[in-house]
Amino acid sequence: MIRRLLIANRGEIAVRIAGTAHRLGIETVGVYSDPDADALHVDSVDLAVGLGGSTPATSYLRVDAVLSAAIDTGCDAVHPGYGFLAENADFARQVIAAGLRWVGPTPEQIELLGDKVAAKRAALEAGVPTTEIIEITGTDVPGGVPMPALVKAAAGGGGRGMRVVRSEAELADAVAAASREAESAFGDGTVFIEPYLEHGRHVEVQIIGDAHGYVVHLGERECSIQRRNQKVLEEAPSAGIDDATRRTLCEGALALARHVGYQNAGTVEFLVGADGTITFLEVNTRLQVEHPVTEAVTGVDLVELQLRVAAGEPLPFTQDEVTFSGHAIEVRVVAEDPSAGWLPSTGTLTRFDIGAGVRVDRGFRAGSVVSGDYDSLLAKVVSHAPTRSEAAWVLARALRSSAIVGVRSDVDCLAAILGEPDFLDARTPTSYLTDHPAVEQAVGPEGDDRIAQFMGAVLVDEAAARAEDEHLGFAPSGWRNLWTHGQRSIWIDRGDGSEVPVEVRPSGDGFDVRVGPWPAPTEDGSLAPDDRAIHRVRRLAHRGDELAVEVDGVRRRLEVGDDGSVVHVSGPAGCTTWTRAPRFADHDAAAAGGGPVAPLPGSVLSVHVSPGDQVTDGQLLVVVEAMKMEHQITAAAAGTVTEVRVAAGDRVDTGDLLVLLDTSAADD
Amino acid sequence: MTVLRTRLDTSSPAYLENLAAMQELWDEVAAELASVPTVGGQRYVDRHRRRGKLLVRERIEALVDPYTPFLELSPLAAWGTEDPVGAGTVVGIGVVEGTEVLISGSDMTYRGGSANPTTVAKGARMAEIARANRLPLITLNESAGAELPRQADIFVPGGASFKNLTQLSKLGIPTITVGFGPATAGGAYTPGMSDYTVFVKERATAYLGGPPLVKMAIDEEVDEESLGGAEMHSRTSGLSDHLAVDELDAIRIARDIVKHLRWSKLGPGPTEPADAPRYDPAELLGCASADVRIPFEVREILARLVDGSRFEEFKPLYGDKMVCGWASICGFPVGIIANNGILFSEESNKGAQFIQLCNKAHTPLLFVQNITGFMVGSKAEQGGIIRNGAKLINAVSNSEVPHLVLMVGASYGAGNYGMSGRAYDPRFVFSWPNHRIAVMGPKQLAGVMDIIARNAAAGRGQEIDEEALNAQTSALEHLVEEQSTALYATGRLWDDGIIHPADSRTVLGMALSATHGNEVRGATEYGVWRH
Repeated sequence: MIRRLLIANRGEIAVRIAGTAHRLGIETVGVYSDPDADALHVDSVDLAVGLGGSTPATSYLRVDAVLSAAIDTGCDAVHPGYGFLAENADFARQVIAAGLRWVGPTPEQIELLGDKVAAKRAALEAGVPTTEIIEITGTDVPGGVPMPALVKAAAGGGGRGMRVVRSEAELADAVAAASREAESAFGDGTVFIEPYLEHGRHVEVQIIGDAHGYVVHLGERECSIQRRNQKVLEEAPSAGIDDATRRTLCEGALALARHVGYQNAGTVEFLVGADGTITFLEVNTRLQVEHPVTEAVTGVDLVELQLRVAAGEPLPFTQDEVTFSGHAIEVRVVAEDPSAGWLPSTGTLTRFDIGAGVRVDRGFRAGSVVSGDYDSLLAKVVSHAPTRSEAAWVLARALRSSAIVGVRSDVDCLAAILGEPDFLDARTPTSYLTDHPAVEQAVGPEGDDRIAQFMGAVLVDEAAARAEDEHLGFAPSGWRNLWTHGQRSIWIDRGDGSEVPVEVRPSGDGFDVRVGPWPAPTEDGSLAPDDRAIHRVRRLAHRGDELAVEVDGVRRRLEVGDDGSVVHVSGPAGCTTWTRAPRFADHDAAAAGGGPVAPLPGSVLSVHVSPGDQVTDGQLLVVVEAMKMEHQITAAAAGTVTEVRVAAGDRVDTGDLLVLLDTSAADD
Repeated sequence: MTVLRTRLDTSSPAYLENLAAMQELWDEVAAELASVPTVGGQRYVDRHRRRGKLLVRERIEALVDPYTPFLELSPLAAWGTEDPVGAGTVVGIGVVEGTEVLISGSDMTYRGGSANPTTVAKGARMAEIARANRLPLITLNESAGAELPRQADIFVPGGASFKNLTQLSKLGIPTITVGFGPATAGGAYTPGMSDYTVFVKERATAYLGGPPLVKMAIDEEVDEESLGGAEMHSRTSGLSDHLAVDELDAIRIARDIVKHLRWSKLGPGPTEPADAPRYDPAELLGCASADVRIPFEVREILARLVDGSRFEEFKPLYGDKMVCGWASICGFPVGIIANNGILFSEESNKGAQFIQLCNKAHTPLLFVQNITGFMVGSKAEQGGIIRNGAKLINAVSNSEVPHLVLMVGASYGAGNYGMSGRAYDPRFVFSWPNHRIAVMGPKQLAGVMDIIARNAAAGRGQEIDEEALNAQTSALEHLVEEQSTALYATGRLWDDGIIHPADSRTVLGMALSATHGNEVRGATEYGVWRH
């Protein structure tokens, strides 16, 4: 039996593992990097060891430091979670050599299955249904490859080192590019070619085996909805395959597991083509991010099983005893902005509340800092209901009732997917997001819900302004004995960046509110007709962040957080975020000349201009590397470079001015 | 503390009838107020906007802090005179960067913002308010100068405006002038005498003599910009401290200036709970008689005016036509002296004593005027009504705590003086629309004149031409009636504005807060008491 477990991970998975360990009476030891010293996962374990560093390479990826942490604190087992060292056979070997139990498959199995080519061979040997692959040796590109085809790296994953090829002419270049990318990302440039299944679905089978040679499957999960080959939404069971295919996949997975004598938890991934063609993708020799949907429909605790199996216990049930009930859907709440190409977002979470009725595996809480150095996953939210559509509704409602403040997230997009007709009809190939760009642009509540939330932001601003009036706070809001116009302000709807002018005039026990541009002077100086609708708005209850707003006779409960620059409104209809535009233009800044700013924290890779350079609209100025992506910063208009504020290698923060451009000459 | 209880039946026909009559009086005032922003004519308003300029009140809206109140003073100044209603300027109390300030601005749409005699009088009143209450002054300047055809009534008294600016500065009361347009001749001293100046680029100008006059006087040909433009004054003459890009930029700079003043008030802040009255202040509109000849209970007004309707009455059983007591309004402690009609000796003595008590306690005084005058007649005279009235006037005149006056009905005769009328330098005077003010009621005045005419005729042994005398008496009554209305009074700056009765708490609260900009300290010495 395991007594003290080292959890070699961070974020939600470390928290989740600690939860099960504690339930089983196992003591837990965590590890943390410098910025994570007060992170939620560190507070979730009994004690934790600092690894130093602030990047994965200098902290959680340090085999020596993590191993020492386990040994020094008297642990008798190590659970690696997923990512980081989870599929590092060498680390597993060292753990075992140090006399500790490794919660995962054997180092040999990790090594074998970690090589996609070797894994594919094993799958073929075991009789797993799959398409053939073409191995590449050196730079020789074979002829007669059926199109379309997929070029993949033998090592690694996450879409890196992968290319879709639609004509033979592109093949050689694709192989070369994929190989280069794989070499740089994984240190191994080996690639292979397999048929590319259009409109396929990603279906994977959960397996777990014990040290006594017994293996079971726990059914399949479908994870087709992906962005950049990274999963966004996962569900169990798959709604897009029939029972025959389901049986084929599960039995195939078991066959492969038995063939290699698989121990502990693993996932066998397949792609199922629209025509039913099945191709084996790979085996993930670890606990998957999306394991909770399997737990929901089977009722098992996969981490518990992992710990028991690692301790040498036999599996506590047989394949026949595994039952499935209902449907589970998991979404990944990530600190990324789907409307901006899933651009990572960083900052401090000032609020982080997820709605009720769902399982939430979270690695962050209010006050947590989301940095660009680690994975953007904030939480996994899982619903479980008798039917798929019920699970979707429950999850959508929980997401809409969530309040995530401080970083941008994908909750609006996730909620939009869950209500989208094709999704509800289970038409979800891996191209789902590409086929449905509208869901990525979802901005949360619409129509009256959005207006009501906007009123919430405006009324909280009004209340704060009145509270700040130290001398005349007793007077009614915006009181006048001779009226000119109501209180005017311009707001930025952070959902779509639009400007929303609003005019508020106190009246009776509430306000008359007009939304939209106020009448401007026409050419002859007279004012344009005022065609704005008047909303009758009342603030019915306001205590702390909680507010009830009545708009035209309809009352809504809202929570409104104002962090000084951003007002965040949430309610049952979802969340909106607003910023009050400055009342006065900053002419000094305008005179100094605007310039492009860093879109997110990262480091400057290269600078392409010098002071005095004439640049054209769209010309490349600076390249910033952030979140493993290269962002090209270009000139928004033609002009002259007056100042370059950064040099290659500099670290930059979101909003940092990179280059000063004088565009006035171009204006003249 | 005792809480006032109402005996007013707000569903009674008498109340509702009076309410309707008061509403009618207010509607008349409201219509006048609504006309003020376009008093210069829609054509000139449009022309102003066509030039990309904000109207004066739009500038003020941009200047004050969001959602804060703004109390415009004497908005109907010059009503009933040959000058435009409002006198072509706006004066008011507002909040800029958390600081209560006095804001004034000229209305360029009326004769190019030129000054008329009422403008001068309103400006003098403004300076007095700034001085007495220590309110920083922001002037939004844009004026063609004096209305030349009226120069005889402007030139000599108008000079005080520049003296006032530098005297405010001497007292440490900051003065800020923002130039949006011309400041010509004497007007150039408005920025010249100010502590801080902001000039709007390509808009503001200041010169003693414009290009035509310069050509006439010294035969120099010069354009307006080089003679007195914003750039020149910002870069060369130094008259302008800040060159603003546009109007809103100038307002932004003015706000920054106020911010750096780190201004603090000398008076104490509000010390009492500022809870709403138990009875709805909206009912104030029906509390006072629309026809001031009909008596009403002034305590019904107080019950809807003071915090929590709490009122600690002083000498309730003595001199009961004068109601005195302690209360608070919007958290500011006040001593209140209110009338239920006429003043007798007892009322005069009671008032004189109460004023002294409030001065000892450094408590501001609110006079709620509803007064028909001092009692006359042999009994009153023998009882020493002059001597006792003199005590009241002595106390009022020499009292040094801030006085506020609320006119809720009649203000006739020397009662106006005893109740700190305009001539007694109260910090602020506000009137309800039913207010009447004159040396006596029009009917009495006409009646007195009638008796005098009859006595004179009898003395000369002449026959009375009844018809002619009746016509004369009736005409006089009408004239006095016209000259004693609230609108007539406010037009002549006898008050600081007619307010909606339901706004009284807000207006008095703002006025009290303004008075606390200065020290609140009671008098220790008075004139000789005639006992």
